[in-house]
Amino acid sequence: MTLKECYAALNGDYEEAMGRLRSERLVQKFVLKFLEDGSFDLLCSSMEAGDLSEAFRAAHTIKGVCANMAFSALLDSSSQLTELLRAGETGAQTQELFQRVKADYAQTAQAIQAFREEAGG
Amino acid sequence: MEKITDRQKILIVDDSEMNRAILADMLGGEFDIIEAENGADGIAMMQKHSMDISLVLLDIVMPVMDGFGVLTEMNKYRWIEDIPVIMISAERGSSHIERAFELGITDFISRPFDALIVHRRVVNTILLYAKQKRLAAMVTEQIYEKEQRSSLMIDILSHCVEFRNGESGMHVRNVHILTETLLSALVRKTDRYHVNQTDISVISMASALHDIGKIAIPEEILNKPGKFTPEEFAIMKTHSMVGAEMLENLPSYQNESLVRFAYQICRWHHERWDGRGYPDGLKGDEIPISAQIVAMADVYDALTSERVYKPPFSHEQAVSMIVGGECGQFNPLVLECLKECEDEIREELTGNGEQRRSQREIQNVARELHKHKELNASERTLELLEHERMKYSFFASLTKEIQFEYTITPPTLVLNSWGSEKLDLPEALLDPYQSAEALAIIDSDVQARLADALHSTTPGNPVVQCDCKLNIQGEERWHRIVARASWSSEEPPRYTGCIGKAMDIHNSRLELESLERQASHDALTGLVNRAYAQKRIIERLEDRPAGRYAMAILDLDYFKSANDTYGHMFGDEVLKFLAERLRHSIRGGDIAARVGGDEFLIFLEYKDDLESAIEGIYSRVNGGVYKDFTISVSMGVASNQEAGSEYDGLFRCADQALYVVKHSGNKGRYNYYHKENAIDTATSAVSPIDAEGGEESK
Repeated sequence: MTLKECYAALNGDYEEAMGRLRSERLVQKFVLKFLEDGSFDLLCSSMEAGDLSEAFRAAHTIKGVCANMAFSALLDSSSQLTELLRAGETGAQTQELFQRVKADYAQTAQAIQAFREEAGG
Repeated sequence: MEKITDRQKILIVDDSEMNRAILADMLGGEFDIIEAENGADGIAMMQKHSMDISLVLLDIVMPVMDGFGVLTEMNKYRWIEDIPVIMISAERGSSHIERAFELGITDFISRPFDALIVHRRVVNTILLYAKQKRLAAMVTEQIYEKEQRSSLMIDILSHCVEFRNGESGMHVRNVHILTETLLSALVRKTDRYHVNQTDISVISMASALHDIGKIAIPEEILNKPGKFTPEEFAIMKTHSMVGAEMLENLPSYQNESLVRFAYQICRWHHERWDGRGYPDGLKGDEIPISAQIVAMADVYDALTSERVYKPPFSHEQAVSMIVGGECGQFNPLVLECLKECEDEIREELTGNGEQRRSQREIQNVARELHKHKELNASERTLELLEHERMKYSFFASLTKEIQFEYTITPPTLVLNSWGSEKLDLPEALLDPYQSAEALAIIDSDVQARLADALHSTTPGNPVVQCDCKLNIQGEERWHRIVARASWSSEEPPRYTGCIGKAMDIHNSRLELESLERQASHDALTGLVNRAYAQKRIIERLEDRPAGRYAMAILDLDYFKSANDTYGHMFGDEVLKFLAERLRHSIRGGDIAARVGGDEFLIFLEYKDDLESAIEGIYSRVNGGVYKDFTISVSMGVASNQEAGSEYDGLFRCADQALYVVKHSGNKGRYNYYHKENAIDTATSAVSPIDAEGGEESK
């Protein structure tokens, strides 16, 4: 699996990421680093605990990282979730979007893991 | 393109490790990166590294303290003035961005960002701030250099006096050091004399001038090996008053503290505590403390230095001689200082002084800081900054220049304190174009000219200069304004204001005018000289070529015999006498000049009756006697009707007409040039050499 194929698998925009970071080495480095970022865990735990402001910050961070890495699918869902949390919404719509973020994150993480195994092995 | 030489530190404040890593990766090649994971952490980093941080990259949304919190703190401590902040955020709302700029950020980068853009903006911002800091340092350095130069001039001047005096050349230096040491000791002991740190350094500098009056003492007395006769001593004693008078005759510097202290020192450094000194017999603290201290330093150095007529005495010997009253009577407090300072004096005089002095300066700063016990780290940084600012404004105040800074938005004029006092304006003046006081100082034409000039500069060549009159406290004085336009770093650059200074050049300008006058006038008679007259006449002829003009050249008959019989002094008197007559016989617009020797020239404009004008002039100039000498004048006249409207032609023809008179055997009359009577052009009464010598001796 190439980096480009990995982007396709996670519904990202490979060209855009290359345009921003200017080198395949950097894109690869940060794609792999994405799995170590604790923001997603923080989002999940604070959503469970009902800590709205912490959840907002975590979603906001995910959104920022995804924007820079051009993870388009996760960027889209995390952006929407960020705005709902900023507005203090806790209703069904928020829960629904949270589920979508979880699904998109799972898909992204899976693609990266697959890429890492091949690249590492 | 400038290169960044030393590696600069960038602080990245962002809660996402991933974000920090991306930025660190982009910039780590050229910069040292330090990281903080929230705002509070960031502030702690800034405190720890203080002024060492070249740039902060700041996120907005963070736990504990967000980006706006960081900016608020940075404003509170005024770090925002020295550390540029670039904000990076995924926040798109314009209210966020606006608020960030209001809090003083330099730039805002939206996430997602492009690596090249981040890199470029970071480098630009750092270069810009580095340049500003360098400029500020340069200004300080120049002012400092100026100080150094004036102290160098004083040293040179006083060494001149000293060498004539046959002294060691070290005396001035030693007196300076002793004055500084004794005064510092005195200040530690008592605040009775209201002497501050600045006074100490100015008095020490002025001490070098204590004996300048000795230039007026004849060398035979000054360097006489044996004892003075009472008459000689009386002459010797005048040096203190002479020195004081020399300083008093520097009218434009009377308000300088240096001159004021130097005056006290020159005049009173030979007074005695018991009132038996000279020149004024002042007693006790009637003698200014500056003069008391320098007197002590002077005596002490004379005793402890080797002289042709005596070996050097030790500190103990010198002190016991001074205490024993062998060398005058001193203030007991000053005596105590001398006794206490033995070690310090020895060290200072034998060369470790330089180092110790800078150490002492540092100690002074430290002591000042120590006074504020409640200081914490950040306030200490502020105090240091404040100290730098104080130092800058102190040096700026010494330069006696009006320094200003003008910004277009908001329209604000900022003056240094000296300039503000001088112009009687506030240090910061909003909307100066609306202020009647400000507008009264500088003519509106000059303002417009200056503004035009500044607007027409370029970022590469931003400096303009103009000489103009400023109305300062009701007096119009010539000033030279040098200003540097400020251009923004945008493309295309925008004019944002200027910085500059105005120096008083009134006196040198007047001097120049008087030099110009000297160059255009004859020193003996006060009439204009030949060269200047020629210039003026040519201007007149070219200005109105259709006018009717005449030139007359005249000379004194038998002048050589006046010189021979009564001497040249008498000859000069006769010339002055004649020049005075000339001055009174011409009308306002006419020109009377001394051509050289006893030759004079008159240039006049007439309407129709040249004859009666010439007759009038001639009758007033010719005839009568000066003392025993008969005034007889011969004159040749040429009009432009006959001789043409060229200066050379007029001069030659008038000269020829004079030649005819001189060689006619019938001097003491005048003669007109007529074309039809023209003679060989080689014959001349005047140039190239004075023809009269040969002729008169016949």
